[in-house]
Amino acid sequence: MAAKGPVEGSSIGFDFSNYARNEFLGQRLNGLPKATSTGTTIVGLKFGGGDSGEEEGICLGADTRATGGPIVADKNCEKIHYLAPHMRCCGAGTAADTEFVTNLISSNLELHALSQGRPARIVTAMTMLKQYLFRYQGHVGAYLVLGGVDSTGAHLFTVHAHGSTDKLPYVTMGSGSLAAMAVFESAFKQNMKRQEAIDLVSRAIRSGVFNDLGSGSNVDVAVITKAGTEMLRNYEMPNERGVKSRNYKFRRGTTAWTKESIRSLVVSEDVRITSGAGKEQPGVEVRPVAIGAGPGGEEGMEVDS
Amino acid sequence: MALYAEHPASAHDAHAAGPTQHAFNPYSDNGGTILAIAGKDFSVIAGDTRQSEGYSIQTRYARKVWQLTDNAVLATNGFAADGKNFVKRVKQRLEWYQHAHHKQMPLRAIARMIQTMLYGRRFFPYYVYNILGGIEEDGSGAVYSFDPVGSYEREACRAAGAAQSLVQPFLDNQVSVGILLHFSSHRHPSICSFVPSASLRKHTIVTNDRQFPPRHDNSTRYLGVFAMEALSLALTPQIYFKNQVPEPGAAPFIPGNLPLSTVLGLVVDSFTSATERHIEVGDGLEVFVVMNKGRTTDDLLGEGQLAEGMEIEELGALGDGGERTFLVKRALKRD
Amino acid sequence: MEGINTVDLMRLKHGEVNLGTSIMAVRFEGGVVIGADTRTTTGSYIANRVTDKLTHIHDRIYCCRSGSAADTQAVADAVHQHAQLYAAIYGERPPVATVAALFEKLCYDNKDQLSAGIIVAGWDKEKGGSVYNIPLGGGTFQQPWAIGGSGSTYVYGYCDATYQEGWGEAETLQFVKNTLALAMARDGSSGGCIRMCVITEDKVERHFVPGNELPRFWEGKEVIGGLAQTTKPVAAA
Repeated sequence: MAAKGPVEGSSIGFDFSNYARNEFLGQRLNGLPKATSTGTTIVGLKFGGGDSGEEEGICLGADTRATGGPIVADKNCEKIHYLAPHMRCCGAGTAADTEFVTNLISSNLELHALSQGRPARIVTAMTMLKQYLFRYQGHVGAYLVLGGVDSTGAHLFTVHAHGSTDKLPYVTMGSGSLAAMAVFESAFKQNMKRQEAIDLVSRAIRSGVFNDLGSGSNVDVAVITKAGTEMLRNYEMPNERGVKSRNYKFRRGTTAWTKESIRSLVVSEDVRITSGAGKEQPGVEVRPVAIGAGPGGEEGMEVDS
Repeated sequence: MALYAEHPASAHDAHAAGPTQHAFNPYSDNGGTILAIAGKDFSVIAGDTRQSEGYSIQTRYARKVWQLTDNAVLATNGFAADGKNFVKRVKQRLEWYQHAHHKQMPLRAIARMIQTMLYGRRFFPYYVYNILGGIEEDGSGAVYSFDPVGSYEREACRAAGAAQSLVQPFLDNQVSVGILLHFSSHRHPSICSFVPSASLRKHTIVTNDRQFPPRHDNSTRYLGVFAMEALSLALTPQIYFKNQVPEPGAAPFIPGNLPLSTVLGLVVDSFTSATERHIEVGDGLEVFVVMNKGRTTDDLLGEGQLAEGMEIEELGALGDGGERTFLVKRALKRD
Repeated sequence: MEGINTVDLMRLKHGEVNLGTSIMAVRFEGGVVIGADTRTTTGSYIANRVTDKLTHIHDRIYCCRSGSAADTQAVADAVHQHAQLYAAIYGERPPVATVAALFEKLCYDNKDQLSAGIIVAGWDKEKGGSVYNIPLGGGTFQQPWAIGGSGSTYVYGYCDATYQEGWGEAETLQFVKNTLALAMARDGSSGGCIRMCVITEDKVERHFVPGNELPRFWEGKEVIGGLAQTTKPVAAA
């Protein structure tokens, strides 16, 4: 491998030009800024087939809490990412990495499908993900549950950040994976019906939500069969916030100021139509947009009442 | 074939460099949050009931707030094992005191005793943040807060623990800064006054600038800043809450003078909000209300005073001082 | 020789998925038997209890993987690609020795970035059944039998004492099964079930032994549900 890499000149891939600077700053301050991580419960299972009398399919589930250290960064984030019409991917680990990796692979799968003239298989997505993640030796912190249905049937995989993969009938990942796996290990059956699968998945997620501090809020579910994909966003909402006992609206004029000065930003205005649809046409009345019509304008936002 | 991307991080990976050192660590952090607010003739001390370690919940019901005497309640937060042990020892000392003196120890004396007990373990500290609340001998509500090695002060309100950084700014904004208490209480807790008098402020500022005992943190300098702030407050006497300009013509704010119903509302909202945004806070809320003798209980026990889902019980009197302690319980979210 | 355990574990990157493993391969007249436990761990958590560590490389060549799951999968995938290319170019199956050489090159050239201990085994028309061991830093060692992974340290003595030349398929299969059961019983990061595979000129035949049907040896009478108790005659009432 040649010494020159993305550092000089190259415009693809990651830019490491700030790496040395950030290491230096990280030593002088205490530690680098923490990325938002999806301390998470994500699960997936295979259902249908056999003598269930139903088409085989994949049911995926995720909680909706994103954390930064012990603080809840997002109470209702989406962790079931789109890869292709017949494929979804749940992400745990560093939020940005799961988001970016799934987006990137989604794009490449679309191109792959276009060039091959048929929908990409689940193994193809799995291979793309593992090869990408292996290249970055775990520095891209994406822990994924990949599921979908293709011409060869329903498939379910886990992909770890270092690039290893497993193929199993039921899987869990993230900080709540132990809580969720406990549910699966005690109640999973081969060839479940669709609704049974959804119920078991949401029970596994709930187990993570209530027993793992990194997971919380709502339950998202996705069901993928040959017939199509159904996204059940906020399938369960067991943690809605009650009403506050007091009202914290601030009286107008609460914030003190030392000086007040109001000036008009528009010094002079001259609207002239030069081309396009706005150009004078016979029978068409041209009306410039009134200043102050938008938010914050004359009849814009009311801050307090 | 390029198996790897050229990532400079892999060359000096943190885990690859240097030997891994192992040492026994006797402490752990069990999360949770406590909070106390002083009123004119009552004091409210609260804590959630979740005990956790890392991402696991050890129990959804572990007590953090303890009744010590008829007029004192202690909240502990930090390392649960140390907290339990510390409360046990404090209670033992209080019992000895009662046998020796045939009366319960006054609040300010308990505060000073806690200081000496904590400092006694200066080089192997109890990893606990304590907040002591109750009724002073003069009948006023009081809150004392401590650091793990015994530095303490009397305040109008204090939050500690996992969600301290979320709750304390809220209280500063909604309750008061309690600046007056900073200055007068430490040296003369018994003569502490809640009446904002410019002359008293000036007096205490001067004495504290000269005599405040040096501490290991930078609080001496901190105090100087507060002194200047207090001066500016004295010059603009109508400050209500922190960063809030009062309504024109409104009565001047008196720190530590909020009604009980308001204080309870603030406590409940502090904890439900902390539960929303901090993963270590939740499961249950216990609020202890200590009332001065003879004070009305209508604003706590009266019809419709408590919100739905809240339970209340009165804790039996331990002595005959006449103060009354109530325990209000409420569920918090469990996720 | 440095302990396989220490080297193996210390080399793993933080949070990496580990094949703390018991693997083996044994040659017999006409082919090879390979075998492995099915446990994959991340720290103390079993990430997969029915892992398949017997990885297909070509029609009559498999490998047993130990070390980092990510590294060994990547290397095996790369060699699999090379083997397919070989078959396409030369119009015949690649010899086991060639595949072993490919593994060795990848493992040796990238030794500072990999933690992969691999046993390559298979059948080819030149040599019949053959077993190649490629330990941690590279190197190829053709052996009549090879064991690997963290569990292997417990059963070197058993293999040395038990192995004999001239076994047939059934005896070899039993030897692999017993060895792996012994290793899995002693090594905490090995366990689960046993997967085995017989590779001869005519077939690739997979065998699966569930965790509750593993061969059992002396366990002492203190062990609840142990052999000593189950074999004891039931006393008359």
